[in-house]
Amino acid sequence: MHIGSGFLSPPVWGGLAVVSGAALAASLALARKRLDDRKVPLMGVMGAFIFAAQMVNFPILAGTSGHLGGGFLLGVLLGPSLGIIVMASILVVQSLVFQDGGVEALGANIFVMGIIPCLMGGAVRRLWSRPRPGWPADAATFLGSLVAVLAGATFVILFFGVSGALPAKVTLLEALAAMDFVHFFIGLVEGATSVAVVRFVVAARREAVFEVEEPALVKEAA
Amino acid sequence: MTAYNRKTLLLGAAIALAVGGIVSYFASGAPDGLEKAQEDLGMAEPAHAGLDAPPVVFEEYSLKGLGSGFWGNAAAGVVGSLLVLAVLLLVGYLLKRRKRPSPETDAA
Repeated sequence: MHIGSGFLSPPVWGGLAVVSGAALAASLALARKRLDDRKVPLMGVMGAFIFAAQMVNFPILAGTSGHLGGGFLLGVLLGPSLGIIVMASILVVQSLVFQDGGVEALGANIFVMGIIPCLMGGAVRRLWSRPRPGWPADAATFLGSLVAVLAGATFVILFFGVSGALPAKVTLLEALAAMDFVHFFIGLVEGATSVAVVRFVVAARREAVFEVEEPALVKEAA
Repeated sequence: MTAYNRKTLLLGAAIALAVGGIVSYFASGAPDGLEKAQEDLGMAEPAHAGLDAPPVVFEEYSLKGLGSGFWGNAAAGVVGSLLVLAVLLLVGYLLKRRKRPSPETDAA
């Protein structure tokens, strides 16, 4: 879902650069106040993994592919502020080194693939902190990931609309329908992947994810 | 570094490198959701002057010179993953380092 170069008008990409820049600065300030030692290597490898996973385009419908966004699962596992820092780092590397996503569209891409899904993922984080998260955590993560992908897709079209990038004969509603139809199917895969990855990381690295010692967590449940 | 953090780093990096270096070779080459929607809507061509970073080392997701085969893709996946890892470890290091020392540390 990386917006390429030349699709957003200067007021749109400029405004979104300011919004995303401010959100990133706030995230860094929060992380600076409190950052668990175990979170740093987790942030690093989660970033590397999401970068790698985004290279794996899976076929969806005829002649279309999709790839993981990953922002939602980062919001669950790292919390919104660290998630935003990780997504922003990935998007900067993709844009500057791999020509994936326009450089001037970085703010927009961070907003759509970082800020929105990371905040949404952060909202269901608590469901996973219980010793046995169970189906509510799975369901919220699956549905949340799907909704986050659709929200991102919707914002992309709105940004195109405000930028005057949509062809004159296409109505905003038609554009939204085309974008969200494809992204509904991508969102289903995103949802299933989020559940699998969050389950795996919570099982393997519960202490780093929730910044607790294992015994304290068990006591909480009792 | 604690044994716990070392294991996080090694296991996580191994998974990321396997996905970026090997699994990604089998990725679909079809346009992604956004590209497809743009094609369908008839807006595949940019309407404004934009800015793309020049392909200096990597052309899209292939190392220049190695082409878009297995090794060119593997190089992109490995270097890109390690680059993101390095950026985030540096950010984490700076965030921890720039933290103001607590009063106890000052007294010591």
